[in-house]
Amino acid sequence: MSDTKTSPIPFAFVAEFENATELYHAAEHVRDEGFKRWDVHTPYPVHGMDHAMGLGKSWLSALVLAGGTTGFLTALFLQFFTQGSLYPTIVQGKPANLSTIPAFFPVLFELTILFSAFSVLFGLLIVIMLPRWNHPLFNSELFKKFSDDGFILVIESRNRKFDVEGTRAFLEKIGAKRIEAVEEDPV
Amino acid sequence: MSALKSAEDYKTGEILNSAKAAPIRVLFSTIGGGATLLFIIVALLSKGEFQKGMAYSWLFAIVYFLTLSVGCIFWTLLHHASNSGWGVLVRRLMETVGSVVPALFVLALPIVMIPGIRDALWEWFPETHRVNEEWAVQKEDVVRKKFEEMKSGIDAGQLALDARKKEWSAGLEKAQPGEKVRIEAEMAAAEASQERLKEADPSKAPVQNEVEDEAEAEHFKHASPVLASKRGYLNPGFWYFRYFMFGIALSGIIYLLRSWSLRSDSDAANAGKWFRLMRKWSCGFLPLFAVSWTFLMFDWLMALDYTWFSTMWGVYLFAGAALNSMAFLIILLVGLQRSGHLLKVVNAEHYHIMGKLMHVFVIFWAYIAYSQFVLIWYANMTEETKFYLLRNSDGWNLYAKVFLVAGHFFLPFVFLLIRAMKKNMTWIAAAALWNLAMHFFDLYYVVIPERGPSLSGGESLLVPYAWITDVLAFLAVGGIFCYFVLRNLGQGSLYPCRDPRLDESLNLTN
Repeated sequence: MSDTKTSPIPFAFVAEFENATELYHAAEHVRDEGFKRWDVHTPYPVHGMDHAMGLGKSWLSALVLAGGTTGFLTALFLQFFTQGSLYPTIVQGKPANLSTIPAFFPVLFELTILFSAFSVLFGLLIVIMLPRWNHPLFNSELFKKFSDDGFILVIESRNRKFDVEGTRAFLEKIGAKRIEAVEEDPV
Repeated sequence: MSALKSAEDYKTGEILNSAKAAPIRVLFSTIGGGATLLFIIVALLSKGEFQKGMAYSWLFAIVYFLTLSVGCIFWTLLHHASNSGWGVLVRRLMETVGSVVPALFVLALPIVMIPGIRDALWEWFPETHRVNEEWAVQKEDVVRKKFEEMKSGIDAGQLALDARKKEWSAGLEKAQPGEKVRIEAEMAAAEASQERLKEADPSKAPVQNEVEDEAEAEHFKHASPVLASKRGYLNPGFWYFRYFMFGIALSGIIYLLRSWSLRSDSDAANAGKWFRLMRKWSCGFLPLFAVSWTFLMFDWLMALDYTWFSTMWGVYLFAGAALNSMAFLIILLVGLQRSGHLLKVVNAEHYHIMGKLMHVFVIFWAYIAYSQFVLIWYANMTEETKFYLLRNSDGWNLYAKVFLVAGHFFLPFVFLLIRAMKKNMTWIAAAALWNLAMHFFDLYYVVIPERGPSLSGGESLLVPYAWITDVLAFLAVGGIFCYFVLRNLGQGSLYPCRDPRLDESLNLTN
């Protein structure tokens, strides 16, 4: 780590704040400044933080809706195609057409749930860019405090608005207690 | 962060604006009173199937509003038992709607108490009556015959014993010592069995009663086999006992919770004590509530056809009750906010949670209704399919597809998936109104199809023009119900202003 410290542009700035309220207001400032690649990390969920960070609605729900609908239609097709036309199985003299749909509901339900669950899991993994071996933030000593008593705000250098001196000054201005520059691992 | 609201600023509560509420109360009492009067006049003037069918109209209307009220009792209990904080601001509304239960039990008295009306609804009453009448006629003959049989049995036994005794005493004289013991033992056994026979002498009173009861049960089993097997539960004495017990239990639960809650408003020093008391009792009341509601619905609705049964009946009606009481609460809340109440305390977050609970119960209702249907449909057993066979006949089939499958489940399910709809006061009220309308059709489908076949002896599905009295009864009970809701709402603060969790509810985010 020591040899990369000379690098002019760090991976990110990690800033610690005094408490949840401070962090909340800091997040509002960062949001208003127009940063895009940044996040906050707290030991517990802070209500209203999504609003302070200016987070919109996640598009994961749209993905799940698409997944669920696909599952529903798959089950519908699978059952009606096989049971209705390909190889109708007559059970207890019940018809093999649309009126048989009560018997198909369990599978319709199950596939809807299954495909929804898959789209949640894999959609989420894609959205948060997992799996990966490591993350530069793990190089930071300060960052480790977020799971204990630290209220952490991270601004990545991949922001268009990022500028080493200016951003550090900005973080100090909005009340950061400690600021640490995190370097990326040498490849 | 918008400044946190402090419960200190809201501890005075908020009172219903009586100037605004008064005209609405008058409106509801006029609708309720007028429709009731009209209903009674029609009932007195009409005759035949139409008149008897009005009993179904009244039962339907009572059950509809009872589900709303009882659902609110459930929400109150759940709120306390789970120690929820989000709904403190709307809990008083739940308590208020729940507190109308006693009025509904009183309104149900005519259909329960007047034999002519009662018999039109629940066929097992006239059936029991018919079997008992038959028995009253036959009783003397049957019992006398039984007694005579028994007496002649005893006499014949005595004669046979005497004859054998003679043989034995003759045998004893010639017998070897070893044989003697055997003969004596045989004699003792024969005498003992004759003694046992004599114990059942019908000239003794307890024996007579026993024989009579046995003969009566046998007669009942022969005259009405299905009812005979359910007689331990479906008999008039126990049925009336249950009606009063369930009425007292449901009314008592909500009376206690509401009066404790109201008392806590003015008792700042002991606020914590009242809420611990309510929480403790709510956990105990939940099973009592579940049993009362389940068996009340067995008694009132499942027994409309006493030959049919479903073990999912209680939970099916509970699902509808929980769903639509939440819908009613949303409409009540929107109404209050539109008229300038609770504006500072209730916000979109509360609507969001209530919308989510409504959504959950849309799914739960569909899950239960479908499970009940598919198990019966798949097993295809005659005694179970009766219910759905009737409800698949003619127009009822399309009715169920449109109103229950599409209207009660698919449309509100998709609509309430959207978060923006749950946070918007107007849209969530529209969804709640839609659900209440679908609940109307759901209960209509439960109660009304029994009417035609029951009253015409299976000749026709529907009683002509009977839907008019259905609507009339709905307006009558609905008007009275809404009047009582508004009246009770004015009896205290609109939210429990001393609840220790008021802070949590004021600053709700989700």
